Amino acid sequence: MRERQRNLQGWLFVSPWLVGFFLFTLYPILASLYYSFCDYRVLSPPRWVGLANYVALLTDRDYFLPSLWNTLFMLIELPLALIIGLTMALLLNHKIPGIGIFRTIYYLPSIMPVVAVAVLWLWVLNPQYGLLNAVLTPLLAPFGLQPPGWLADPKWSKPAFIMMDLWAVGGSVVIYLASLQNVPAHLYEAAEIDGAGAWHKTLNVTLPMISPVIFYNLIMGVIWTFQYFTQTFIMTQGGPQNSTLFYALYLFYNAFRDFRMGRACAMAWILFILTLIATLIVFRTSARWVYYEGERG
Amino acid sequence: MPSIMRINRLLLIMSIVLAALVLPACQHRQHDPGVVHLRAWTMWGGDEAEAFQVVVDEFNRTHPHIQVHNLAAVEDTKIIRAIVANDPPEIFTLRDPGYLGSLAGNGALLCLDEFFKQSGLKESDYAPGSLSQCRYNGKLYAMIYLMDCFALLWNKDAFREVGLDPERPPKTLSELLEYARKLTKRDANGRIVRIGMMPPDPLIIISAFGGQFIDPKTGMPTADHPRNIEALEWYQKLIEVQGGAEEVNAFQAGFGQEMGINNPFLVGKVAMMINGQWNPYWFQRYGPKVRYGAAPIPYPDQYPEQKNPTWLGGNIFCIPVNCKHPKEAWEFLRWTQTVEAQVLFASTMHGVPNILAARKERSLREGEPWKRAFAVFMDVANSPNARHFPPTPITGLYQYEIYSAVDFVRYGTKTPAQALRDVQKRVYREMLFWRR
Repeated sequence: MRERQRNLQGWLFVSPWLVGFFLFTLYPILASLYYSFCDYRVLSPPRWVGLANYVALLTDRDYFLPSLWNTLFMLIELPLALIIGLTMALLLNHKIPGIGIFRTIYYLPSIMPVVAVAVLWLWVLNPQYGLLNAVLTPLLAPFGLQPPGWLADPKWSKPAFIMMDLWAVGGSVVIYLASLQNVPAHLYEAAEIDGAGAWHKTLNVTLPMISPVIFYNLIMGVIWTFQYFTQTFIMTQGGPQNSTLFYALYLFYNAFRDFRMGRACAMAWILFILTLIATLIVFRTSARWVYYEGERG
Repeated sequence: MPSIMRINRLLLIMSIVLAALVLPACQHRQHDPGVVHLRAWTMWGGDEAEAFQVVVDEFNRTHPHIQVHNLAAVEDTKIIRAIVANDPPEIFTLRDPGYLGSLAGNGALLCLDEFFKQSGLKESDYAPGSLSQCRYNGKLYAMIYLMDCFALLWNKDAFREVGLDPERPPKTLSELLEYARKLTKRDANGRIVRIGMMPPDPLIIISAFGGQFIDPKTGMPTADHPRNIEALEWYQKLIEVQGGAEEVNAFQAGFGQEMGINNPFLVGKVAMMINGQWNPYWFQRYGPKVRYGAAPIPYPDQYPEQKNPTWLGGNIFCIPVNCKHPKEAWEFLRWTQTVEAQVLFASTMHGVPNILAARKERSLREGEPWKRAFAVFMDVANSPNARHFPPTPITGLYQYEIYSAVDFVRYGTKTPAQALRDVQKRVYREMLFWRR
């Protein structure tokens, strides 16, 4: 009796979360799966069309496939973010006076609101009056070159976004930094006794020890890249020449501009599957390079 | 378990407090019998929201039995979500009038034909291109409350500087190209410092050429209409004579906000542009020293019948089909069509009245200096060659397609004919999909 009552009370206490989960998370997810097989224009009831949405998307060479390609292009950012973030973390790991200030400075960009950063970078990347080209113009002038138009140029718009994101790499730097400080000092001492220099210590002690964190950042990076939206929505709306029409932006256009909610749902599920595959690939390879302490390997 | 008992009591007290806080908020609107309260969700924010509030206050003052409550700065998607959730406001505007077709086509809007017939309003009271913005498939689904209209604006000092007669704007589109070439100024490195003609909205140029977006007989898209192709060929030339896409884009990217003292026209970066009737007031407010003129948009030399072309927009008000107080909502819309309400709003919002009688109103034409240029816009709006994008169920997509086609044309990646044929292929397919 008492057991039952306690159980009941337990359920009651978690019920706000349960109701929220079933009503606002699980139901919409399942509904979107159903709608992805429908011609659903939001304002009129959905009509079952089978695989038509998926077929239309996968054969759409004008928008869907380019938007997927644009998004995959952004994956270039991941290794760059890894190298830059890790290098910065290694530099910021030195015990020198005022290191706290440097850590703060490099962390700061990553906690700024995305919208504010986007508007700021619109000015930095401005081809004529931007900070970046103001620096590049005198540097390139002796070679008779002109700096790129960045967001105004379809060839440079994606690299411009990558550059902008790398500026805010501080978030992962902090995570790397935390894990760097967890590497046991005795491993370094042992390596030193074996005659290892700074390079070998980094390669053979630091990297394996922080590999789980690199792995974590990589997975998060993959997921984040597939959902790339806010920056392009604010800064370029997909242009020029659809060069920044990323997957999530095209999904949004389908849903809220063209009222093709069914197709947008189908896009969401394709996105889910793609993210799943990408994550699985990273997971599969992880056994080879991720080292967990206490695991036999 | 006493501790659980205590927690239960605590929960009880908390829920009572919560209820005490929430319940009065639900009843904030006093239910005075006989007074109907209407929610109006409108697109305007900031200064413009204040201008609309003045109109609402005037309506509420003169109509004590109906009280309109305005919610400012509402996004269209919020309205669509409210419609889907079956709790839309009684009146709403469409920031993007392109939504009218898809909303009406989905049966989300109340048809206003019956109301209109009984109201004593006459088709002939209306300016050309006003009611047609509110009709979809021949039925009236909205009321327009002031319109936007486009004309050519030019900087007289820039004209004088390059030896052009500052009182004589270009009359034809080939003349415009010539002027644009002359007025474009470069620095020692060859970079543009002033553009002769700001690249206009391509939809305006297409309509100036007498182009066509929809076949009026079949209702199907005609994106690759020969006149549309000609229009984009002209557009391509305009970019060429001013230095090509990359130069022009880079220069345009440096423009400050139009609403404010960094307006590119006011700071002398733009010598000519096609822009809306709100500009004269802005110019007076943000750059009163700039000497400028306003004139009808130039027409294509080979089509003199296209003289005085212009492009129209409008503030579109709708009533949802499941509105609880359609009669009262209509009473508000009906009131916005009176000359008095049109002049009241036009004088603060600087839109062009859609009721012809209000366009003659002297207070909109005389007085402060900006009103002289504003009057040019009001006259241009009377032109038989005034056009707007026809309401279709796929307007958002259609316009995006045209803009991206123009993007390809600007960079020379596609010819105008190629780009528009690609648009046609896609929007045609989309229209068939819609009709299925």
